[in-house]
Amino acid sequence: MTVKPMNGRERVLAALRGEAVDRTPVCNPTSVATVELMDLVDAPFPDANRKPELMARLAATGYTELGFDTIMPVFSIIQESSALGCKMQWEQKDNWPTVRMREPIWVEPDDIKIPTDFLTHPDTKCVLDAIRILKKEYGNDVAIIGKTMGPWTLGYHCFGVEPFLLMSLDDPGKTKLCLDRMTKATVDFGVAQIEAGADALTLPDHATGDLVSGDYYKRFLRDLHIELVERLPVPLILHICGRTLDRMEYIAQTGMAAFHYDSKNEPAEAMDIVKERIALVGNINNPETLFAKGPEEVRQEVYRNLDAGVPLVGPECAIPLQTSIENLKEIPRAVKDWHRDHSTPN
Amino acid sequence: MASINDISNEFVRNEIDEYIKEPDEREGLIATYAAISSRMQSIGAALVDGQNKTVDALTVEALADGVPALEIMDDGLIAAMRIVGIKFRENFIYVPEVLSCARAMKAGMAHIEPILSASGIKPLAKVVMGTVKGDLHDIGKNLCIMMLRGTGFEVIDLGVDTSADEFLAAVEEHEARLMGMSALLTTTMPNMAVTIEAFIDEGIRDDVKIMVGGAPVSQEFADDMGADGYGKDAMECVALAKRLVKEDAAQEG
Ligand code: B12
Ligand SMILES: [Zn+2]
Repeated sequence: MTVKPMNGRERVLAALRGEAVDRTPVCNPTSVATVELMDLVDAPFPDANRKPELMARLAATGYTELGFDTIMPVFSIIQESSALGCKMQWEQKDNWPTVRMREPIWVEPDDIKIPTDFLTHPDTKCVLDAIRILKKEYGNDVAIIGKTMGPWTLGYHCFGVEPFLLMSLDDPGKTKLCLDRMTKATVDFGVAQIEAGADALTLPDHATGDLVSGDYYKRFLRDLHIELVERLPVPLILHICGRTLDRMEYIAQTGMAAFHYDSKNEPAEAMDIVKERIALVGNINNPETLFAKGPEEVRQEVYRNLDAGVPLVGPECAIPLQTSIENLKEIPRAVKDWHRDHSTPN
Repeated sequence: MASINDISNEFVRNEIDEYIKEPDEREGLIATYAAISSRMQSIGAALVDGQNKTVDALTVEALADGVPALEIMDDGLIAAMRIVGIKFRENFIYVPEVLSCARAMKAGMAHIEPILSASGIKPLAKVVMGTVKGDLHDIGKNLCIMMLRGTGFEVIDLGVDTSADEFLAAVEEHEARLMGMSALLTTTMPNMAVTIEAFIDEGIRDDVKIMVGGAPVSQEFADDMGADGYGKDAMECVALAKRLVKEDAAQEG
């Protein structure tokens, strides 16, 4: 069966629904910002994280320069934490902004308060405005993806990583209560982005095998992620970098549309676990391949994913800011070549 | 040669039997624990189980009964931290569990440290540790610090986002001869080289051994930037630190 030619938006949305596509879509659900792209369109960090026009302009390069099928305007993981009151470090052009997790703002569940200006705070509003700009300009051709952080990552930011992880051992019930309460921020910001025009949402929630067990994911997050699928009415792309094979079974049970996975997990093994239940996105290695190697190695990793049947291809996580445009452009090129070589002659 | 059945504490015996598979490490731990008093084994068991209150109480009791502080530190706490480090490296436990064991270690050390320093017993060495400028990842660095402390090093923790100047100042202030840098971002890894340059410019590069680590760092990078050593995980960090201290002492003659 051949599928009629699609544009990027149609292609991505079809793949996220598990439907047939004309070719595998290329996307990065986390961030494609690089210094080279910042220079190209004069939209440098940190301003591109704080001014909607610059944010939109830098994000659009994912489509206009790189030829990806998605545009993702949130380059960091801190916009809502800033609006929640975390202490921020905005950094310079050559680094991502971050939260000062050593100075946590919450200790107990009752400390959790979602400020009334949560969605009008400059750093959340910036994202909403950028999505509106992008929707107007590119909304018909390419999938606009938003990003709302899951409660586990918000926990790292607001409670500090170590206190939060210790709480999960000392008092799992309390941790669950915290997660439930923080979920309101996830939902509110997600809904606002959908209203602003996002076609899909990335939901990073760093319960990675580098930090916690697979059983932790099941105990603390699986049901909560199922609930998020019900409360956020667009396709959701769960993002967890690091080792995740041991929890992919549970992730596949959430009903999320897609799972954005890391190169520490072998594509074929991952596909074996999730099968058709969730669409994998990934998993081209960032630090070793995209950042440090050349187009030929990038191509090999793209092929490894396509050979394994991975339905959406892209980098594993926010790409290193010094990644070359050449390496990134190689991803869609390789995808097209692979499909040409694998098309069944009519 | 000692056998696993020479370990009297059932919990410790089972832990070693179930989790410590690498022959050298297994033999070493069996030999260590076979020679440790059952009282110290109980402290170790509580530590491996993350029971900070039990470690606290048992340490206080042992001190009151006249067990030397050094014995409690070496046999009760440090030996157990070794089991924890190996279990983490082999993915039997994860970061929350390691944090709770480290908290238990700290509970015991809170009683031991003042006694040791009052009696003039020196730590293995002083180590200055920090995550480099622009980088906020500190989980791995903190685990290294826990294991270093758990081995008897005194660690000065500079936290995250540490500039070359801050490393310089800390090394000079504490007269440390060993320093470790951590980086998790490809964007911040070059700051390790920048820091090493700063030590050269100050003319004190030869006075301090520098180790580096973090997920994107490799032995090759470490060699390129002129570090003295690279460690892949917290256990290697400890082994490396010990080796560098030895090298340093040999060079000092
Ligand atoms: C947890 C995590 C976070 C947490 C950090 C919390 C904290 N307080 O540390 C949060 C969610 C906040 C976070 C933020 C970001 N992260 Co992050 N994060 C991770 C993740 C998932 C795990 C890292 C970790 O803690 N591992 C567990 C520890 C135990 O391992 P470790 O750090 O490697 O340490 C061990 C060894 O390396 C060694 N070691 C460590 N230090 C030292 C030092 C010495 C001297 C020695 C000898 C040994 C040694 O021993 C340790 C113990 O065994 C990794 C993914 C991955 N696959 O690694 C991404 C990752 C590191 N993050 C990444 C990114 C991009 C980011 C962000 C930029 C995201 C964004 N878009 O905003 C921000 C960065 C902010 C900043 N400026 O620092 C990328 C980095 C890509 C790159 N190489 O440039 C990674 C690799 C994800 C990926 N696959 O691309 N992150
Ligand atoms: Zn990630």
